[in-house]
Amino acid sequence: MNLKSVLQEQKFLILDGGMGTMLQSAGLELGGIPEMLNFTDPDLITNIHQAYVKAGADVIYTNTFGANRLKMVKTHKSVQQIIQTAVQNAKRSGAKYIAQDIGPIGQLLEPTGTLKFEEAYDIFREQIEAGNDADLIILETMTDLYEVRAGVLAAREHGNGRPILVTMSFEENGRTFTGCEIPAMALTLEGLGVDAIGVNCSLGPEELTPIVQELCQWTTLPVIVKPNAGLPDPVTNTYDFDPQKFGICCQAFIKMGATILGGCCGTTPEHIKALSDMIQSQSPVKRTLSLPSAICSANRTVIINQPRIIGERINPTGKKRFKQALLEHDTDYILNQAIQQIDAGADILDVNVGLPQIDEAEMMQTAVKAIQGITDTPLQLDTTDPKALEAGLRIYNGKPIVNSVNGEEESLCTVLPLVKKYGAAVVGLTLDKNGIPKTAQGRFEIAERILNRALALGIRREDVFIDCLTLTASAEQEGVMETLEAVHRVKTELGLHTVLGVSNISFGLPNRELVTRNFLTMALYAGLDLPIINPNTESMTSAVRTYKLLANIDKNAVDFIAHYGNDQPSAPAQPKSQEMTLATAISSGLKSEAGSITKKLLESTEAMTIVNEFLIPALDQAGAEFEKGKIFLPQLISAASAAQSAFEAIKAHLCEHSSETVSRGTIVLATVKGDIHDIGKNIVKILLENYGYDVIDLGKDVPYEAVAEATEKSHAPLVGLSALMTTTLPSMENTIKLLHERCPWCQTVVGGAVLTPDYAEQIGADYYAKDAKETVDIAKKVFQN
Amino acid sequence: MISLSSVDRKQAFRYMGLPIEPDLHFQHLADVCEKKLLSSIAPRYCWKLFQKSDLQTLLIGQDIQIHLEHCDSVILFCATLSQSTDACIRAAQAEDILKGIMIDAMASALTEQLCDQAEQEMLSSFPEKYPAWRFSPGYGDLPLSIQTDFLRLINAEKRLGICVSDGGLLIPTKSVTAITGLSDQPLPKAKKGCAICNLSQTCLYRKKGVHCS
Repeated sequence: MNLKSVLQEQKFLILDGGMGTMLQSAGLELGGIPEMLNFTDPDLITNIHQAYVKAGADVIYTNTFGANRLKMVKTHKSVQQIIQTAVQNAKRSGAKYIAQDIGPIGQLLEPTGTLKFEEAYDIFREQIEAGNDADLIILETMTDLYEVRAGVLAAREHGNGRPILVTMSFEENGRTFTGCEIPAMALTLEGLGVDAIGVNCSLGPEELTPIVQELCQWTTLPVIVKPNAGLPDPVTNTYDFDPQKFGICCQAFIKMGATILGGCCGTTPEHIKALSDMIQSQSPVKRTLSLPSAICSANRTVIINQPRIIGERINPTGKKRFKQALLEHDTDYILNQAIQQIDAGADILDVNVGLPQIDEAEMMQTAVKAIQGITDTPLQLDTTDPKALEAGLRIYNGKPIVNSVNGEEESLCTVLPLVKKYGAAVVGLTLDKNGIPKTAQGRFEIAERILNRALALGIRREDVFIDCLTLTASAEQEGVMETLEAVHRVKTELGLHTVLGVSNISFGLPNRELVTRNFLTMALYAGLDLPIINPNTESMTSAVRTYKLLANIDKNAVDFIAHYGNDQPSAPAQPKSQEMTLATAISSGLKSEAGSITKKLLESTEAMTIVNEFLIPALDQAGAEFEKGKIFLPQLISAASAAQSAFEAIKAHLCEHSSETVSRGTIVLATVKGDIHDIGKNIVKILLENYGYDVIDLGKDVPYEAVAEATEKSHAPLVGLSALMTTTLPSMENTIKLLHERCPWCQTVVGGAVLTPDYAEQIGADYYAKDAKETVDIAKKVFQN
Repeated sequence: MISLSSVDRKQAFRYMGLPIEPDLHFQHLADVCEKKLLSSIAPRYCWKLFQKSDLQTLLIGQDIQIHLEHCDSVILFCATLSQSTDACIRAAQAEDILKGIMIDAMASALTEQLCDQAEQEMLSSFPEKYPAWRFSPGYGDLPLSIQTDFLRLINAEKRLGICVSDGGLLIPTKSVTAITGLSDQPLPKAKKGCAICNLSQTCLYRKKGVHCS
């Protein structure tokens, strides 16, 4: 029987046991590279494989766990040589199937690590292409879902159609080291079309029981279990689970519905023999499953079993300040929008970064990566550009929602295949080439058409959400109830979840909030599951919370009381800002006061006057006190932080009211290649921005060329470089050299814990700054302002 | 059992360069940050015991040799607050740089607390031994370039999910590798305090006439 059908029919498949364990007992030297034994002692490797085949293993993993270009760099062998030789060694064992074994790359991906998703993809691609003689691909001992996604995409696109198996390693808390949850793994990988998923390593059979149990409830795919031989002894690092016990314990996994079993660390051919003997008397257990409708990031799953709020604020439509942020690649602004909405109660964030003047695909990737770097909240990718959509889907970590497809043929043909390929959920808009049907019936028909097209492509019914489209009450009053009727019918007759952007209802009417809130409640009652709203408007989120209470979803009003239980009816608070001056707010580090006082000042004072006469003097004073040692650095930063919110108010005001901008010059900032500590650079950035400089922040671990490129493009007169570690100082020197060659007009200022004025001079920097304050002084000098 | 339920604030304030008893504004901020940080961490560690003689290629330089002079065996260990802490620091920075700095400093203090507890747990397996104070790559002339081999020896990548960047830095950032020597004989007491501190000439606290600890 061929392997694909074994997998599809969920028959038993026995995997091999530990390789490292066997190599260690054969005397592999401490810290040695196991992959080299494929060359130095091929018989040893084949003998181990053979012992597993004799013990009953159907599948042998090649001795290639770490055979990637990064880990093999010191071996002087190419990835191709190593993998091809290992596959041959495995084939000589006479095993039924050879699995090309691929372990983690050994470098963490961005943003925690420095490895880019695209580089990870390419590393896997090279491995996968080298292993084409193996029967299947196994990605194992994975802890980062993002890395797994890179591997799976590479395997699908370069694996010649070989089956793809993935196992990840979970801790007893049900998460991997990177925090990945079991449902998130299952949703993401089943969506990506792998052939079987499961767990290996980290724990023994007993500890893995609840984890496998949970996994079996989240996937329709065959489930793999490859446990360690118990837990290691802390002193000797050896495993003591005897083979018989191992075999018996594994029986529990079969009862749960797992069909692919083997052993990991500490297991030997005896363990696999015991496992294989046990399996002889068993037959596969069929799981009956009803998978819920759910989306996820790697670390959080949102089940659509009750109304979930989609935050709408990451969207430039009608927002000048947001447009400006996009044009300036100001990701911090976007991140702030994300954080505010999450704090206010958003369960999912809509991400729309479309603007005619920018490369939307690139911006989509930047925004998705940045947002996922700071939050677990799942995202909805909102774009009409298929290129931007694919760019976002490719690098999204988890299972997102695609917003949106519609009933037009072109949309169906371009969007749905992408949804299928990347395993997303999708919002279907009930409109087509004839526009939005006036009647509920018309919209229902389009919903049905979209559903059928999705099902035909293999997209699950649970992953299709329908948006029956809110029309403006002021223009099409008779359409409001049609929308609600359509929502109701889609929900009850098609059994699909529904989405609505509700804010549009009140456009052109007075007291918009009142209208929108009431429409929201009506829509929820009609069957709306995913309201797209501004969660920062308290009356909207509270309407959803109240609905959940009244609809008996929020049992015993737990969530409602948690949010409103401490509310004290009180007289409207007097704004504290009345007597406080901007200078006091800044020196005391009071962010919200600084923002509100500035807004008030803007009613009567020119923006630039505020900057020059209030903001900068306040900062100068804090800076002077810091220099005199009267205040400590965090207190200076606290003032800067308050000044930042004043500045934000000014920027927003300028965006709305004039084309003027506050700019005293452009400065490029970067933490040099190899260095990932960027807090110092971020402090400098904030202070510079407070003084009105435009900062192009290139982030951390920045290649030399990227610094030169940004400086060339912006023609910035000043570049700031930071490095924390002695090991990365050479990168700083190289960056400066390149800047001297390519951007002779620019001056450089350097800083960081290990730098000294002497060293700065030695590597050719123009200035050394001992702290953020001094960087500002240097900038003033360079720009003569 | 590792239990990290509060942050050594004095230490965190010191890392930030704040007064040991900062004003209420910072105390309140510390309350918020501590809560955020503690909910993000997934502390863990792993270790292995070696004979000192087996580690000669790892323990490069004079300082570690002098440090371990009276020890025959050595514990190599690695501890981390995990990747979720890095994410927590990034999120805090995006929201408010001051929070970012505070959480970063608190996480560094907490990493030390984790190492203290881990060390106690490990040493309980060797009640008859006398431990030397823990030493890490980067101290003295023990170079950071040994990190990759260090992690491989105790299998820390697989057991903890830690790796080394091109620049020799541990990732996740709130991670530590350390060496604890064990001796059969009581060890001479190590010198501590301002007298042997590298920063004694430039220290902000000493300038103000106080101590950091």
